[in-house]
Amino acid sequence: MNKSTSTKKRKNRYDGCAYVMIFPAYFIFTIFILVPIAVVFYYSITNFNMYTTPELVGLKNYINLFTDEDFLISIKNTLFYSIFTLFPQLALGLFVAVLLYRKSKLLPLFRTAFYIPNVMSMVCISMVWLWIFDPTFGVLNLILKTFGASTKMWLQDPDMAMFCVILMSIWKSCGYSMVIFLSGLTSIPDSLYEAASLDGGSAIQKFWYITWPMLRPTTFFLLVTGIVNSFSVFEQVNIMTNGGPLKRTTTIVHQIYRRGFLEFKMGYASAMSVILLAFSILVTILIFKYGSGGQDVDVS
Amino acid sequence: MKKEKKYQVIWIIVMSLASLVMLVPIIMMFMTSFKTMAEIQSPVFHLLPEKFSLDNYRDAMTTGNWLVYFKNSLVITLTAVILSLLFNSIAGYAFARLRFRGAKIMFLFLMVGLMMPPQVTMLPTFLIMAQFPFAGGNNLFGTGGTGLINTYAGLVIPLVSGSYGVFLCKQFYENFPRSLDEAAEIDGANKWRTYFTIYLPNSKAILATLGLLKAVAVWNDYMWPLIMTNSENMRTVQLALTMFKTDSGIMWNQMMAGSVLVALPMFVLFLCAQRYFIQGIVTSGLK
Repeated sequence: MNKSTSTKKRKNRYDGCAYVMIFPAYFIFTIFILVPIAVVFYYSITNFNMYTTPELVGLKNYINLFTDEDFLISIKNTLFYSIFTLFPQLALGLFVAVLLYRKSKLLPLFRTAFYIPNVMSMVCISMVWLWIFDPTFGVLNLILKTFGASTKMWLQDPDMAMFCVILMSIWKSCGYSMVIFLSGLTSIPDSLYEAASLDGGSAIQKFWYITWPMLRPTTFFLLVTGIVNSFSVFEQVNIMTNGGPLKRTTTIVHQIYRRGFLEFKMGYASAMSVILLAFSILVTILIFKYGSGGQDVDVS
Repeated sequence: MKKEKKYQVIWIIVMSLASLVMLVPIIMMFMTSFKTMAEIQSPVFHLLPEKFSLDNYRDAMTTGNWLVYFKNSLVITLTAVILSLLFNSIAGYAFARLRFRGAKIMFLFLMVGLMMPPQVTMLPTFLIMAQFPFAGGNNLFGTGGTGLINTYAGLVIPLVSGSYGVFLCKQFYENFPRSLDEAAEIDGANKWRTYFTIYLPNSKAILATLGLLKAVAVWNDYMWPLIMTNSENMRTVQLALTMFKTDSGIMWNQMMAGSVLVALPMFVLFLCAQRYFIQGIVTSGLK
């Protein structure tokens, strides 16, 4: 009797049906995430162009990449975009979250106002800002004219185009950081602030010694996801400027799109994808290595 | 106490102004969608249109086949949401509750997907779709036809994947009391029945959250339809919107009317189900 229950138990230790249950999700994950990573490495060493059978060309694509002026500019632009979008957007999100964090019935209302640009598609938003920045009919120049100031070319000015794209991107995404920071603030116990008040701490001291260190894990998360996302900026660039004027706004993914899908140089574009992948992984590793000092802050 | 009240009033005023500044572009989009082209081109800027006429909306919707575009976007969004919820939640249940060899390593592997922006894999994924065996006239080796390009399947399937969904469902199911499983087992229910009769009906909160996030992501997606379709019949609303931007000048009023209509479903969805949205965004940030 005793023996039979123990064998039954052993038999039950593994649930075979689990494999069937995870199959659909895992199958799609494998086909559309894992296999593509392998495939992109393979095509990056071929001269595949959609029509002829691919031939191995070794590292030729990579060597060409580093003499391709457009690609080098796109790397510079992408880094520029990432730095000047991510940090202001995080700072603004944090600033608004700290201002907003108060026990009030109005909080959800304000939160909604800041978050709403995030549920709009990048296409819609690009269209709206395209009009705002339009040199002849755009509202920005109309306002400048009303005040008697000289008008600007905005997206058509090589020196300003990237800043216009950046401004729009900050506007769209600061609400997201704000919501995440707000939830981070909610998890900081009130007792810490009360203790600081008893010790006579000022608002700035409270922020510097309590809020900022307690938010380290949140900031860390936003930084990692933000960098990876801003490295792959594409939609607003393709819609608003198409990389122009004078290639000042072209980005890595924009170059991949142009070479791969408009010129059908799939092998060459695959090499670019590999570089982008390497970039994303490298930065993530660096941040995990040097930025994880906040992980020892225990949020409880 | 009085000081506190004064702060409260200042806070409300400052935050109202800040919110208004945030909303200015959206308000302007809305107002411009009612203006005539002559009003937009006038040298003086008025926020309000002279009269609220729906002409722009009518004109925008009659350039091109918008009924088809909306139908495509709706079909893609609904299928992607339903399939991803089903696949990801059942996988989440398996990872949370069932014991099987390699569970831990397989789950960790799955989380690679969290770190991978779709732009990195768009090119190889496109090639895989184009060379999918036995689809669109392809043979076993994926040559000879167009594969899944210009098909609903090609548009939907890659969007169904969701490491994040599996992760969140696993987290959610781990908080279910173990006694539920034991009760089900005593009643003779197998794992499938346990999932479909106990876990699935009790996971409305997490499914609402995931479904909403997925719906917004798919409806708003621009890149994948851009590279996967080239026929007008398969065009989504986001792609159709970019058609208003031509080299020969832009009809700003129609473009804004189109933008309002395309953004509206997601606005409504967000405002109706804000609680689930914020919950989802917050859990994604606090893992």
